[in-house]
Amino acid sequence: MYKKTFHGGAHPQGGKQLARDIPFRTWLPKQDLVFHLNQHIGKPAKPVVQKGDAVLAGQVIAEADGFVSANVVCSCSGRVKAVEKRRNVLGTTDLSIVVENDGQYTLADGIGEETDYTALSGKEILDRIKAAGIVGLGGAGFPTHVKLAPKKPEEIRYVIANGAECEPYICCDDQLMRTFPEEIVGGMKVMLSLFPAAEGVILIEENKPEAIAAMERACSGEPNIRVHRVKAKYPQGSERSVMSVVAGKHIRLGMLPADVGCVVDNVATVRAVYRTVCKSEPLMERGFTVSGDGVETPCNLMVKIGTCFEEMLEAAGGFKGGEEPEKLLCGGPMMGFAMADLEAAVCKNNNALTVLRKDPVAEAHRQMTSCLRCGRCNQACPLGLTPQMMSVAAQRGDYERYEKKLYGLECVACGTCTFVCPAKRPLMQLFKQTKAEIMAAKRK
Amino acid sequence: MSRLYNISSSPHVRSRLTTGEIMYKVILCLLPAAAVGVWRHGLHALLIIAAAVAAAMLTEFAFERATGRPDTLKDGSAAVTGLLLALCLPAGVPLYVPVVGSVFAILFVKCFFGGLGHNFMNPALAGRCFLLISFSGIVANYTSDGFSSATPLADLAAGNPVNALDAFLGLSNGVIGSSALALLAGGVILWLLGGITLEIPAATLLSFCLFVGLFGEQGFDSGTLFLHLSAGGIVMGAFFMATDPVTSPVTSGGQILYGILIGLLGGMFRVFGSSADSVSYAIIIANMFTPLIDEISVPVPFGCRKQKDPSAKRSLIPVSAVILCVITLIAGVCLSGVYEMTKDIIAEQQLAAKIASYKEVCPDAEEFASDAGMDAAIAALDGEVYGVDFGRSYINEAVVGTDASGNTAGYVISVTSRDAYDGSLTLSVGVSADGTVSGIAFTELNETAGMGMLCGEDAFKDQFKGVNVERFTLNKAGGSSADDEIDSVSGASTTSGAVVNAVNAALDFCAANVK
Repeated sequence: MYKKTFHGGAHPQGGKQLARDIPFRTWLPKQDLVFHLNQHIGKPAKPVVQKGDAVLAGQVIAEADGFVSANVVCSCSGRVKAVEKRRNVLGTTDLSIVVENDGQYTLADGIGEETDYTALSGKEILDRIKAAGIVGLGGAGFPTHVKLAPKKPEEIRYVIANGAECEPYICCDDQLMRTFPEEIVGGMKVMLSLFPAAEGVILIEENKPEAIAAMERACSGEPNIRVHRVKAKYPQGSERSVMSVVAGKHIRLGMLPADVGCVVDNVATVRAVYRTVCKSEPLMERGFTVSGDGVETPCNLMVKIGTCFEEMLEAAGGFKGGEEPEKLLCGGPMMGFAMADLEAAVCKNNNALTVLRKDPVAEAHRQMTSCLRCGRCNQACPLGLTPQMMSVAAQRGDYERYEKKLYGLECVACGTCTFVCPAKRPLMQLFKQTKAEIMAAKRK
Repeated sequence: MSRLYNISSSPHVRSRLTTGEIMYKVILCLLPAAAVGVWRHGLHALLIIAAAVAAAMLTEFAFERATGRPDTLKDGSAAVTGLLLALCLPAGVPLYVPVVGSVFAILFVKCFFGGLGHNFMNPALAGRCFLLISFSGIVANYTSDGFSSATPLADLAAGNPVNALDAFLGLSNGVIGSSALALLAGGVILWLLGGITLEIPAATLLSFCLFVGLFGEQGFDSGTLFLHLSAGGIVMGAFFMATDPVTSPVTSGGQILYGILIGLLGGMFRVFGSSADSVSYAIIIANMFTPLIDEISVPVPFGCRKQKDPSAKRSLIPVSAVILCVITLIAGVCLSGVYEMTKDIIAEQQLAAKIASYKEVCPDAEEFASDAGMDAAIAALDGEVYGVDFGRSYINEAVVGTDASGNTAGYVISVTSRDAYDGSLTLSVGVSADGTVSGIAFTELNETAGMGMLCGEDAFKDQFKGVNVERFTLNKAGGSSADDEIDSVSGASTTSGAVVNAVNAALDFCAANVK
């Protein structure tokens, strides 16, 4: 029997029923497309086009700058309107390339060519992935070609396609697994070819029976790939939880998954690897969920990267009943970012727009009491940290204790502690702030 | 976009559970026990509960108003404190008792330490212990149907037959919330509702049973264990008092440690100490250990090795606490050494003081010797109260005094009376062969200075000297002329009465045993 779940966690009410059975609909952008150059972890990409240049769909418009960085690929054809700073989902600004869409989507040369991946060397595969600008599509945005090139590829035991999707409301990965199971298995095979000793694992939460069935059918002929069901619990999709159930391995301080023999990639990333390597198609579009109790028709979309968030709302029929909601989130409610407006464009690693009519955080603030010391946060922390003690140390300014005794810097900001807190204390906010302060002090 | 939407740090959803909800769940789960209590003890029990809850809530409200703090009444924690306190009181107490207890619990234990989440011991239990000490006569009096009678545990200690099933159901004498069945049901429901986790109750009950089984007189006899679990509030303590989140450790491991501590302390106090309040004291003592337990039970997170950081290691073991313990230990050893060395000298001095008092009350005697007849009579008393007319008087020793020529000069009886104002007093009574009191002298007198202590003055003692009567009587008014009447020391009639009873006991003993 494989492990079903990890220790701790919580059960935020799903909201997935709103859009989970709605198939992808392709949304073609109407306005200009905006390509932020900082869509990934690492250094921002360097623009290789100038204002006025004509560009084609699939053309690299910004190149990776340094080892951990990624190309940015244009998802439409047209003319570069500007290279300027634009607002991103965090509310700050990034250098961005604005492309005026001609609506033709004329493809650059060579895109769509069928390729047999078995004829390619490992280096060629990685080069294709790098050129396509693929990054972790689950949210982190870590460049995939870096992740797939660990120091000792022969020591990798598991290649894990993460289809847990534990965030409430979001269901684009669920739809992706239902719609393109063969492509995901294809991507998995490409990745396994890089790691001779590895087994392929597709990890899915039990609350997605259709996706499980589809994936099991797709990998039935593959002796080397299996589907691993896990309990539906937040944050099952986090890298550490995934590895803990699949390999029984824990990441120690400062270690990457590769150091313990695992490569973890989101199912959407795995599919992008397939499209790139076997179909010569760079990363131009992605699955996207628009949901929440504040939109008229929650839906799953196949969207061009660079499309404005405002169009995502339009695609879902606008606000429910035309009523202004209180909160707009890029991503899901557990780890997403609250946006003050819809000016930003969809990046590679953005998977959802969630619209909430009532702001639960404002309500929570009204209900806040003193900490009861009930310990629910300690029991829920998937890392086994002690948020209660961490918050006391942080408020007291005792950063030494926060870091050394309570391992506070290990926190991955999953927000489970804050979710379960009956006193409604803003723990996550405090921890993010404390971590930032400690890191700032260390850099000095 | 005309407007800006709310911004906040993730997560943007919260669980539905609130502080108030936890408290209301606790109240809900205490209701069965409260209902059994009211059904068993009548309307007065209901009034006690109402008074305690109202006093607790009003105190918190008044304090917050007076100090300009935010109003926290609606979180329900004050009501929980009041309810818990009321359920720990006997049904017969006057209504001011729960009120005083609630005010103390909320004001001194909770509000003064910073309100909800900051109190260092369980307010309800602190309130109960305060009442036990301040109103011991009233709060330890378990009246039932107008008769004051023993609780099941007191009966058990006295060796009387006890109906354990009655105790379990809450039909025996005890506090309002004494129905272990209702409390157990409430506790289990509270657990199912997610109000508590099982670590603390389980660890408490198991370690309690273990201790009582190992060290109790009956061992692991299932009937006795059942009685111990049914009576004395261990179920209430384990499920509702010890689990108070504020005063219990925050980690799973810490909670188990804390539960074991309560179980062991509770068992120890139950077996070796005053049985009725063992659980209360065990829990508030364990409350005080909570910060220390928290400190040593910080878990190493998922996937981390223990950091080899010297400062982390140092803070892991509370060095200062260990040093304090060692110092205390050394001081204790030194003290006991001093006691050992001086114990013989002290004993000699005490003996000399005793002989001196014998000489004082029987001045004709040169030597004192024991008498077989009187020794046998004392042995026959077996440490019990002497006679029926002398209050709680005990005969300690009786000797025969002989003069220089070997004739009997008189008898000296040492008597202790436990009826003194401040515990007990001991005196030596000299009786001559014809029954005349030749004098009295105190070997133990710890009364109030200027009042009871005046009994030690000659003015009082000499009233007995040279009188030959069967009994003395106490004249509280004073100014008596008859030989057998003793003028009470003004304002100290209790002490004076105890002395008179003791002297009468000595005379009676003398008359009965001197042939």
